[in-house]
Amino acid sequence: MSTSNHSSPNIKEWVLDPETEYRFELDPGNSLAIKVLKGHAEVFGAELADNKYYLFGHECKAAVFTWQGCTIEVTGTPSTEYVSDETPMYAYANVHLALEKMRVRALSSYRGSPLPPGPDAEVDPEPPRVLVLGPENSGKTSVCKILTNYAVRVGQGWTPMYVNTDPSEGGWTVPGSISAVPITAPIGSASPASPLGSAATSAPTILSSKALLPLVYWYGHPEIKRNPLLMDRLIRNMGENVIERQDLNPEGRASGIIVDTPSSFASSTSSNFTDHRQTLIRACVDAFRINVILIVGHEKLNVEMQRTYGSRMTVVKIPKSGGVVELDLQYRQRVHAQQLHTYMYGQVIPPPRRPSASAVGDPDLDGHLAPSSSVIPFGELSFLRIGEKSMAPSSALPIGAARTVNEMQPIPLDPASPGSGLLNAIVALLALPVHLEDTERYDEEVLDLQVSGFLAMFVSIISLFFAVLIEIKN
Amino acid sequence: MSMYPQQQQAFSQAPFPHAYPPHQSSYALPSSPVYPIDPVSFRCDYTARLAGLTDNSRLIIQGLSMYAHDFSRWGDVVTQCIEAHIRRVPPEIKLPAFYLVDALSKNVFDPYAGLFASIVAPLFLETYQQVDQQTRGKMEEMLLTWRTGAPNGRELFGVGPQVAIERGIWPSNSGQGSSHSTNAFVSKSQVLSELEFALRQKERNLQSNPFDTVAQNHISILSQLRKLVEAGVSQDELAQILAQLRALVRPTPAPPPAFAPTKYPSALPYPPSFTYHQTVVPTSASLVHPQYSQAHAPTYANSAQQFQASETPRLAVSNPVVASTAPPAITNISGLFEALVKAGVVSATSTPTGAGATAQVQDENRTLPPSESSVEDARAYRTAILAEDVKFSSAEISRHRPNIVHYLYDRMAVQCKQCGLRFSETTQGKKTMQEHLDMHFRQNRKASQSVGRGHSRSWFLGVEDWIHDLPYSSDDKDAGLSSRLSNAKTIATAESAKRDAELRARFVVVPPGDEAKHITCPICKEVFKSEFNEDDEEWIWKNALKIDDKIYHATCHAEALVNSGSLTARLRQGFAGSRSGTPDAPSSRATPPRSGKAESPSPNSKLGIKRKVEVDNSDGQYDGSPPLKKVILASA
Repeated sequence: MSTSNHSSPNIKEWVLDPETEYRFELDPGNSLAIKVLKGHAEVFGAELADNKYYLFGHECKAAVFTWQGCTIEVTGTPSTEYVSDETPMYAYANVHLALEKMRVRALSSYRGSPLPPGPDAEVDPEPPRVLVLGPENSGKTSVCKILTNYAVRVGQGWTPMYVNTDPSEGGWTVPGSISAVPITAPIGSASPASPLGSAATSAPTILSSKALLPLVYWYGHPEIKRNPLLMDRLIRNMGENVIERQDLNPEGRASGIIVDTPSSFASSTSSNFTDHRQTLIRACVDAFRINVILIVGHEKLNVEMQRTYGSRMTVVKIPKSGGVVELDLQYRQRVHAQQLHTYMYGQVIPPPRRPSASAVGDPDLDGHLAPSSSVIPFGELSFLRIGEKSMAPSSALPIGAARTVNEMQPIPLDPASPGSGLLNAIVALLALPVHLEDTERYDEEVLDLQVSGFLAMFVSIISLFFAVLIEIKN
Repeated sequence: MSMYPQQQQAFSQAPFPHAYPPHQSSYALPSSPVYPIDPVSFRCDYTARLAGLTDNSRLIIQGLSMYAHDFSRWGDVVTQCIEAHIRRVPPEIKLPAFYLVDALSKNVFDPYAGLFASIVAPLFLETYQQVDQQTRGKMEEMLLTWRTGAPNGRELFGVGPQVAIERGIWPSNSGQGSSHSTNAFVSKSQVLSELEFALRQKERNLQSNPFDTVAQNHISILSQLRKLVEAGVSQDELAQILAQLRALVRPTPAPPPAFAPTKYPSALPYPPSFTYHQTVVPTSASLVHPQYSQAHAPTYANSAQQFQASETPRLAVSNPVVASTAPPAITNISGLFEALVKAGVVSATSTPTGAGATAQVQDENRTLPPSESSVEDARAYRTAILAEDVKFSSAEISRHRPNIVHYLYDRMAVQCKQCGLRFSETTQGKKTMQEHLDMHFRQNRKASQSVGRGHSRSWFLGVEDWIHDLPYSSDDKDAGLSSRLSNAKTIATAESAKRDAELRARFVVVPPGDEAKHITCPICKEVFKSEFNEDDEEWIWKNALKIDDKIYHATCHAEALVNSGSLTARLRQGFAGSRSGTPDAPSSRATPPRSGKAESPSPNSKLGIKRKVEVDNSDGQYDGSPPLKKVILASA
């Protein structure tokens, strides 16, 4: 590895040896442009095209990895940058190959073509349905991204289903939701606000990873432990639909599922959440018919999972990358805010300033979004809150007392009442139920409805009208 | 127009039987009803018509050319008229006249080529001095076509005038045409303009046949050459390039004169060879393309064909159709390139996408049978993957070192320059890449069109749509989206039509005694017409609705309701007005189902009507309008 300074202070050239990676962290407000001058490089499994500027911004922390060695030109001033030659990429590549084997076998069996003889040829071939577990800051999302990107890159037409069950991770939408999307093209990593690409807009997009069509369920909190029962239900709903979709399409089914999980699945500080944790992992395993569990760098969890599921499926511990950055609460909050902003207004990464001439990189045409705002009378929307706004744990209740309000019960909200808490809130606009016949309606159906879009509320009590910022094409 | 064939006949029965043959305005030039009978009046007539030639109008040039053709026995008059015209008119409209000269000489050839030969050189050079740079370029292009413009593939006006003109334009170029000597001085500008000519010819060729890899290859080489020449090369090399270039552009031997007349229109010998005919004129009647004749005068094509039929042997059909000469051209051009590489003019390394690469690609294309290769490729991949010895265990995956580079990079050598996605070298891979690039192209075009417009996040798909939305590859994504969208639109249209029909079927029974009253709809102010309903034996108002003792048109009321701003309506308008390409698929479910359908009043049930009206009164809505979309918001 060597670096050479250009004439200008914020342009640097890095020569990376094979199998090393260049890691960088950005400060708020800074951005970075990276261009591959020679060789091949990838960011979390998505290859960078030659001689094209890739912009990173919004406190992005990422790594440019190269299998064969490369020269990159970095414009901008990251707060931290270094090159590491210790990466777990070989392990991830092995995992990828193992998953690829499962895909190939599954597809052959779906198509009825004979399987080549092998040691495990007699086993009924199943596509890989992977659950990735790991503690906080272990790089779960990165692993999922690398595995997904590798799968879509091999040119076999795989469209793996990426499921994000971490409500604190906005994924394609806003924080507080869980979502699933079939991936057709590599996902870039320009900003932590859209770590997994972004949902479709009416704007034309260059990359298909910027026009994803996710299935979204609304949970409403970043923390799983706020309402584990609801999470359980949403995961099962999601799983049902994902499986149904994949059943209709052998190729998609053979591509498998990759489930990213919140870190609280892996470790919990409070003892009474452990049960819920187990329940939720069980929910994921059942809902998505998981047959591979990957544990990122957590010995104890590995043992625990081996004991519980080891007999039924493959449980593998994979190393954690040394490059993961410990993220603090403030950072996460900033990312959440940025994600909300990105959903409504899109995101534009300003290219790093160059002392010389033009800006680097293409301006993002799909960057700017203009949400439509609309004034809606109170009566035309019904607001429901799931469970109490603030709920004491059952253990804190007097002995023998039961909750008056169930955690799963949708409670109608009066937007005019001072305690409605709707002011400046984000609410999810739910899709219409499929069956409108009254016989099939039930109280809690709102829990099973997926999200159509999100609204930002600006409530004006006096006029009894909302001003709503709706993300709607018009 | 339809008279034309007759005129042909008459013409061939020379000498001119009728003084006024029955073909007024037969040439798309309706100006002259009087047919000239002597050279003097013909001169006046032709000069008058020439005066109309002030821009590159294909019609006028064609008309003039055919007119001149019919009176070729007065060719000298025509020639003099044209010469005088060219000398007289201002420089900016001289070019069309030259096109006329070109068209006449090429298509009618005899006697015009010979007649013009004596005057063309000074005329051309004189004009060349006067016109602007752009026109000069066009004249040079035309000049180059003259080199091979004669029916026998030789110089249109003979070697003498051709050389004289070329020497005048590209000074100190002594050698020319087929007899050029390579050691003569060759000017850079000449080579450049000839290169340009060849390049455009190839490009046009490629346009008509986009999958012509040979032509693509040629274009890349030619543009490289152009860069080279622009950068400056030595005199010898210039001469060499020029020689090769001429060999390349030189046509195959001229088609035999016994060219089947019926085949002529389809053979269309011109398209690749004339640079100006797209924008300017047809140089011959054979250029009366089918589209043209359909658009303007169906009968014209007919006559034009006959015209050609009679003229075929003399028509200049020799311009090279490069596709047909591809094999010799290949050797020429690759030979040229190799020679240049050897000479050190072009360095082999500085041409990453140059001839070498493309040639290889072609080789592979040839060796790989297209259909099998893709299957083979997939099979090979599967076999290779299954042969990978990866034990799926914690210990094994950290130890094993697979050849992942092979799968991710080496196996797929072609890379999309825009997004970095890779494709395999096989035919299938190339096809996929082509589709992928098309997708980029469409997106980029869309992006360039929609700059400055406000965009917004789309709604997410409904669960049913999401489930049935099969994964499309990136290329047909657009198609999938638009089809889904159009589907949604169809549904929406059908729904609204149905709703409309239902609204119109509503009626209100006219209260007894009110039959004669003129009652108007408060919204549209139109008077209700009462009709007699045979089934109920009552007078009714059709398309009517009674709300609060007022009678409205049902349709008016529905519209008013919608406009009054219900959320549903606005949201639905959002759906209906969606731009294409938004990945939003409002399904039948997304439009609110109409719960009241079953209750829609039947014409013979008065009870039903009353009940309906009551319902309407009760909630201010009637069931013909879409029910309020149940928008449930959950805020957990």
